[in-house]
Formats: sequence, C-alpha cells, structure tokens
Amino acid sequence: MPAMRLEGLTKHYTRASQVIRALDGISLEIEQGEFVAVVGRSGSGKTSMLDCAGLLMRPTAGRVLLDGVDTGALSERGRAELRSRRIGFIFQEFNLLPTLSAMENVLLPLRYSGADPRAGRRRAEQLLEEMGLGGRTSHRPAELSGGQQQRVAIARSLIGEPTLVLGDEPMGEVDTETAEMLLALMRRIHRESRVTFLIVTHDLDLAAKTDRIIHLRDGHLAGDDRTECGIAPVAAARAATPALAGRS
Amino acid sequence: MEIFRNLWRRKLRSTLTVTGIVMGIFALTTMGAMAEHFDALLDGGMAYYGSNIQVTDANASIASGFGGYMSLSTLARIERVPGVAAATPFANESADPGALSVVNMGIPDFISSIDPNLDRYSPLKITLARGRWVTDASRGEVDLGSAFALEFHLQVGDSIALPVRPADAQPDFVNHRFTVAGILDPTLTAPDSAAYVSLHDAQMLVGDSLPSGLAGHVDPYQIISGVAVYAKPGVNLDALAERINAAVPTVEAIKPSTLVGAMKSGAAVFTVITTATALLALIIGGLSVVNTMLMSVTERVREIGLKKAIGARTRHILTEFIAEAALMGLIGGVVGYLLGLALTTVLDAGGGTGALFLVTPGLTALAIGFAVALGAAAGLLPAVRAARLDPVAALRAQ
Repeated sequence: MPAMRLEGLTKHYTRASQVIRALDGISLEIEQGEFVAVVGRSGSGKTSMLDCAGLLMRPTAGRVLLDGVDTGALSERGRAELRSRRIGFIFQEFNLLPTLSAMENVLLPLRYSGADPRAGRRRAEQLLEEMGLGGRTSHRPAELSGGQQQRVAIARSLIGEPTLVLGDEPMGEVDTETAEMLLALMRRIHRESRVTFLIVTHDLDLAAKTDRIIHLRDGHLAGDDRTECGIAPVAAARAATPALAGRS
Repeated sequence: MEIFRNLWRRKLRSTLTVTGIVMGIFALTTMGAMAEHFDALLDGGMAYYGSNIQVTDANASIASGFGGYMSLSTLARIERVPGVAAATPFANESADPGALSVVNMGIPDFISSIDPNLDRYSPLKITLARGRWVTDASRGEVDLGSAFALEFHLQVGDSIALPVRPADAQPDFVNHRFTVAGILDPTLTAPDSAAYVSLHDAQMLVGDSLPSGLAGHVDPYQIISGVAVYAKPGVNLDALAERINAAVPTVEAIKPSTLVGAMKSGAAVFTVITTATALLALIIGGLSVVNTMLMSVTERVREIGLKKAIGARTRHILTEFIAEAALMGLIGGVVGYLLGLALTTVLDAGGGTGALFLVTPGLTALAIGFAVALGAAAGLLPAVRAARLDPVAALRAQ
C-alpha cells in the first residue's frame, strides 16, 4: 500500500474574480519509505500540493489517500487527529514558538496528541541529541542559529513518530552549507527510520540528493524521475553526504 | 507555564489590562464588603424586628430614635391584649452623643435596658463572650457589645462613664460611672454597638436627658422609651399590632412587616450598589481583556497556524486562549481583592465607630471567581477567532 496516493488532485482559487488553477488533476503515488523532492517554479503548485497532502487544505476535486485512508471523508477533527498521529511538518521559516525552549518546542505536538509526556520527553532528548543539540535543550529559539532552529523543527516533526514528514522549503532560509547539512540529517533519519519524506524545494542540486524528483509546472505533473540516489539509495546517500559515509 | 510566558512577553500591555481588572475587583471588594456589612446589620435587624412588635408613644415614631417617652403604666394595658405572650419595657439613650455624625454609616453607640425575654422569643441571640449578664436588679453595671468594648478599649471590670461626655457638653450634662460586667460576642448587627444596663439604670439615664421643662416634674422610673411585645405561638404579629392599637389608643404598635419591609428595601439598595460595581468591573476589565486578547490573536496568527498544522483541534486553541485570558482575570482578581481587603481592614481599624466593612468567604469567592469568569468570558471572542483561523492562511501570514 502506498504511503500517499493522489488521485486527480485539483485546487482552484478565485482571486479578484479570476480562477487560479494551482493544481490541475495531479495523480501520483509515493511508496512507504521513499524520500521524494517536489520541484517547480514559483506558482507551479508545489505548496498547494503539500498543503493538500498534509490535510491542511481540502482540494477542489480529487482525492488524497494516506496509508489507504481516503482523507476527504474525514471531519476537520479527524483530519487534525490524523495530522497529529501520522504527519510531521517542517516549514521554511522554522515556526518555532519564541516563548518555548528547544525542548518544549519539540514536545509541542504531543500536547495535542495526548501522548505520555514522560516517554515523549525521553524521546525529545534523544532526538535533540541526534540533531546535535543535546546541550541546547533549554535554549529559546532566539538564542539559536537558523540551522539549529531548523534542527529543532525537524526534531519536532519527528516527535510523534509520524509515517510521513512533509517539508515546505525546509532549507530555504539557511545558507548552502547548512542546507546540505540539514538534508544529510534528514537522509540519515530517513535511512534509520524509513519514514516517508516529501520535501518541496526550488534547489535542484538538493533535490538530486533525494530518491525521486517530482516536477510540477502550472499545476500539472511535468515529470517524475528516479535519481541516482533512488536507484541505489544507500550507496548514493553515502556518496552524496560524505559526513555520514562512516555510518551504516 | 507557556501562558505565563505569553503574558510576560507583552509586559506593558498585560499589566495595563490586569490593572483594569484590579480596579474593578478592588471596587467590587470594597463596595461588596460594605454591602455585606449592611446586609448582616439588616439581617440582625430583620431577625429582631420581625419577631416582636415595637410599641411606642402614639406621638413618637420608632424612626425618630431616642426621645419618645411613654408611661410605664401603659405596659399593663398592652400585656392584657389577647395574643401577647410577653411585653418588655425598654429605655434607650444615646451612649456617645458627641460622636454622632451625618456620615456615620453604622449603628451609633446606644444604651439600652436589657431585654430578659429576648433569648426566649427572638431568633436574634445575644451571647456573652466574657463576664456575666446584667440583671433587672443590677445597678451601675453594664454589658458591652463587642464593637463598643473595642472602641473604648474596655475589659470586664473596667469602668466607663455613660453617656460619654461630648467635647461640647452643656454645663448641665450629667453622666454616671458603670462597671463593665460582661462583653458580648459579635453579632455583626446592632447589639455590637450597645451598652446594656438594667431597666432601672436606663430609666435613670433617660431621666437625666429629659428636657429642662420636664425634668423634676416626672418620675424617671415611671417613663420608658417603649415596649417590645412578643406574641403567643401562632399569633400573627401584624394582626396583634392592630389589636394593640385598637385596645390602647395612646400607643402606636408598628407592624413588624412594615419595619422588615423598610429594611429589605435598604438591603436592595446595597445589592444594586454591588451589582453596579460588578458591572463597572465587567466593562472596564472585560473590554480591556477583549482588546488585549484580540491583539494577541492578531500577533500570533502564525503560531496558531502552526499549532493547528501539528494537530491542535479547535478546543485546544479555544482552551489555550481562554486560559490566558482567565489567568489575567485571576491575577487582576487576586490583586484587586487583596487591595480591597487591605483598604477595608485599614479603614475598619482606624474608623473609631466600629466596623463598616465585612469581608465574608462568599465575597472573597465572588470577587476572585467573578474576575476569573470575566477574563474567561472576555477571552471567548478572541479565542473563537483564533480557533477559526484557516491553518494554511495563518501559517503564511506576515
């Protein structure tokens, strides 16, 4: 069963009595454990696709199936619960709460899923340690660099043990070196956990380091390619991220 | 913790909002304490006046206070009216004539003869804290109400000259020394301001205060201020008052329902004052909370979007914003209440003529509970607005 299946996904907006066709009948499947990049120019429909896939927005037409569940039939409450249990989000601008520490930001999703806070805290500590932020758990976002903030956001996206992580330009706000590091980090997590990743990016070099690239153009599917990484994921990932070459 | 930090993040604005609530709850506490005091006073009054018929000379009114006289011989005629169980003659006199003030909001100190029938017939019970009761046979002895004793710093065994000599006493002013035989438990009503003496001593003091035209011509021990009439079980007091008026034309028996009705309308005035103050608090505090929370929602649109994206449901967002508003209400309520408590305590301690305020547990619960409810209610509209935000639009808001 695919992790995600989009069937004729369509999203139209009306702005100043003009209909904007953000998505126009996109159909595709993403298998469990894939690491997929969505690329395309500004206005190609990348973010709309991510918003629909992440159940943040209902499509005008078409269906979004997550692990075989038709999400269109779910109530808002049901969609919120599914987001809470199955989906992790990473945003371009980190979206950390300024009044909370790194640890509290990571734990935030558990507040809404009703998970055991003590077990959650242990997992948050472990995640922050894995993100290289073990010594900064009590720091507020303002006391962290952009890369560190995004690592906190990545840890937050994983705290609920989701099956799908959606990233909207997660490397968009950091420099190239940090972007490479963040992608390597996500790839490592992906390799270890086999969580499905769907990352929107405008950076083709970064996209090339994922398993599969979905091209969108004017709301249509313009291409769906396996990368070298996708053909031989582990070996390619090692080659693509030298820092992790020593790990299995 | 997060809601504390959210409030602390906007210190000035939160402080101003909380100050609005503090002012409202401060006013509610002080006005409420005054109303509680008067309610207790009136409850006691209603308990007493609702249980007996006050009979005075037909030409004197109970409302005129002191100064009405009737002959003791009338007592026997009243006692013969069918339905009368007991009739206590009483004599009243002002205890502290120099302290009378137009702004005195409590019961002025008074001297009264002790009523031996009170305990048996009236629901208003007076008990001794220390010492012993004055009896009909006592001479030169007094039982003091709790506020009276406190005001003049008197203990059992001390002595006091009654009435207290005013600063501008006339040359013919006379008073007598009394020994404190007992001090009464607080009743929160009229007896707290009383000096109870035997009927004989009260008649002597009334005689001293007679106008010069009367003094020397009447026997003070044959005059009384009035009679408190207690009815037999099952006898309607208003009907009995009418029968007394018909049987003894020289007196006026006041229907208890008239007195109680007047007191109830007095209590209603204070209820209106408290309610008006609460409304004031509602308007000042409530609107500032609404404004602050609406601004907070506007500023935190992205935060709300994020929370919804990661699984927060409508009730989570509602709860968080209402809790934040309720916390402002709680802080404002506690501070306002404590300020009100401090002011009423200081005023009561320095007031001289006894307590003016009464802070009851009910008032405490009302002041703080009202503040929290006010905050929560005022936070509802902003919270609903926050909870209804579209997560996609909220996440991408600038």
